[in-house]
Parts: sequence; structure tokens; C-alpha cells
Amino acid sequence: MNVPLIYLLLLKATMTSFAGMGSLPQIRQDFVETHQAISDEQLSQAVLVGRATIGPMGAYVVAVGYFAGGWPGAIAGWLAMITPALVAIPILTLIQRWLHLRRIRAAVDGVIIASAVLLVGSGAALAIDAVQQLIRLKS
Amino acid sequence: MNLSDRRVEGPSLRELVRAIAYEANRTVGGGLVSIELLRRRFTASGWLDAASHGVFIAVSRFTPGTVVLAYVVMLGWRFHRWRGALPALAAASVPASLIVLGLAATLAQIDGYAAVRALLAVGILVAGVLVLGSAWHLIRPYLGEKHLRIRALVVGLVALTLVLLGATPVRVLLAAAVVSIAIPFPDSTGGTPEGAPYARK
Repeated sequence: MNVPLIYLLLLKATMTSFAGMGSLPQIRQDFVETHQAISDEQLSQAVLVGRATIGPMGAYVVAVGYFAGGWPGAIAGWLAMITPALVAIPILTLIQRWLHLRRIRAAVDGVIIASAVLLVGSGAALAIDAVQQLIRLKS
Repeated sequence: MNLSDRRVEGPSLRELVRAIAYEANRTVGGGLVSIELLRRRFTASGWLDAASHGVFIAVSRFTPGTVVLAYVVMLGWRFHRWRGALPALAAASVPASLIVLGLAATLAQIDGYAAVRALLAVGILVAGVLVLGSAWHLIRPYLGEKHLRIRALVVGLVALTLVLLGATPVRVLLAAAVVSIAIPFPDSTGGTPEGAPYARK
């Protein structure tokens, strides 16, 4: 699989997801099913490595790129992971310009409050997962 | 502190990169944990206030891809524009990527040992607690005035209902924004938490 294609496919997956592992279904479809560039086992290994490593879970796309195209593929994976983050700057700039409007302020308030609710869900899921793992290890 | 277009006083480029490289790459559990560690570091240093952090969280949630990377890009942009955004992005992503690559290249079966699995589980438990703490810091500014508490309660209940119904995070956030717009502000207030950065100075 050539490197530009790896980059474009991974970019498609990361640009259409909004969380670290959110890109997984698209990556599986493109890399495992459509192009058969990696196996399900390799994808599972990439996810495992990403989850067990410090830092963002989204870094698993680097492993996907590596399995699909070696070291150049890994670099393509890293680029695909970081590219969407740059979109934050124009979004932030627009919000800064419109924050004097009450409706925009209200929308930002709503997103912040909902983010807190989503964080409670994520935090609880992490804690429950950890406790279950510890119980399994003990038994 | 405000979110106006001009740069604000903060860390030097070296301090910024060092802080992000350290805080974004020192725990398992994903980017949300790293964001909480970054918030603690930057607020303790006086470089970031709670309201600005809230706006960064809101924007990073609506930015495609990995949430923490969008967050650090905004931190870098805030203090040094592109000169800060790009090194911040590299500082948050390169160390973890190198470790992922190393593990993938050696095909290490890192979870084959019980001790490793136990350590990971403890690390993830701590990460979960940190994420819950992050949620508290986001919601706390909305617990002051009555009209803010009402907004937090209504929007929070809508968001919680959607989460329980299995809606995707983006849909939850969009619905929360729409519901929040529909709730009127009292005439006498700007309707935002104390110290919020919304009024451009």
C-alpha cells in the first residue's frame, strides 16, 4: 500500500471522528475489508498498543500505518493523527469573533455543560473497566 | 484573562513545549486525562483560567480527531500563534507515537504478564478519577448564580438523556447547544460564569 494512500485513508478516518478510538470502524473498513492491507489481528494489536501507551489513544493510527506501510506508513499515520487538530484554530477564531452574540455564548455554555456530562460517562467507564480488570486478575 | 484575538502573556515557547510534552505524555487512559493534567499545570502557573479552559474544551470537542491534540494546538496558538501551535502539537504527539511505533515494531505482547495488566488497571483507575475531576471543574462555574444553575440543570439533563439513549457525542453536544440557546438570559446579566472570557475587551 503506498504512503499517500495510507495518509489519505487514515485522514478520512480521523477527520470524520471526534474521539481517539472513534476512527476505528472506518479504519477497519478501509484497511482490513476494502484494501486488505492489514489483518484483524494486526488491527487489534494496534488498538491494544494504543490503549496501553501513555498519551492520546488516537496514537494507535501510527501502529496501523506501520503495519500497512512500514516506517513511511507510520509517519503517514502520525500526520493523519495530527492534521485534524489544526482545524481547532479557525473554529476558535470564529468563536472569538462571535462570542459577543448572546446566542453564541449560550451555545458555548451548552457545549461546556454537555462536555462535563460526557466526561462523567468517560471517567466512570474508565473506572469500571479498571475495577473489572483488577477483579479478573484477582480471581 | 480573555480570549481576544491578541496574544496573552504566558509561558515562553520552551516552557510551553516542555509543559505540554510532560503533561500530555505521562499517563495512560487517553487524552481526557492529559487535558486535566494540562489544566492543572497551566492554571497553577497562572497561564489559564477556568473559563478559557471551558471554551478550549468546547472547541476541541467540535474539532475532528483526537481531542487533546486540538486542545494543545489552542494552547500553543493562544501564547505564540503558529510558532506555538505546531511545536505544541509535536510535543503532545511525538513521544506517544514513538512508543506506539516501538511496541508495534517489536510486536511486544505487553499484556501477557499479570503484573503489567495490574499496573495498567491501576493506571486506568487513576485516569478515571482524573477525568471525573475534570468534569467537576467544567461544571463548577455554572453552580453560582441561579440562572446559570438552571441552565446547567436543563442542559445537563438533556445531555444525560441523550447519552443514555446512545446518541453520539457530537449529537449530544449539538443538542446541548440548541437547548442552551433556547433558554433565555436574564436581562441584567451576560449569562455567563464569573470571569468568563466571552466579553471581548
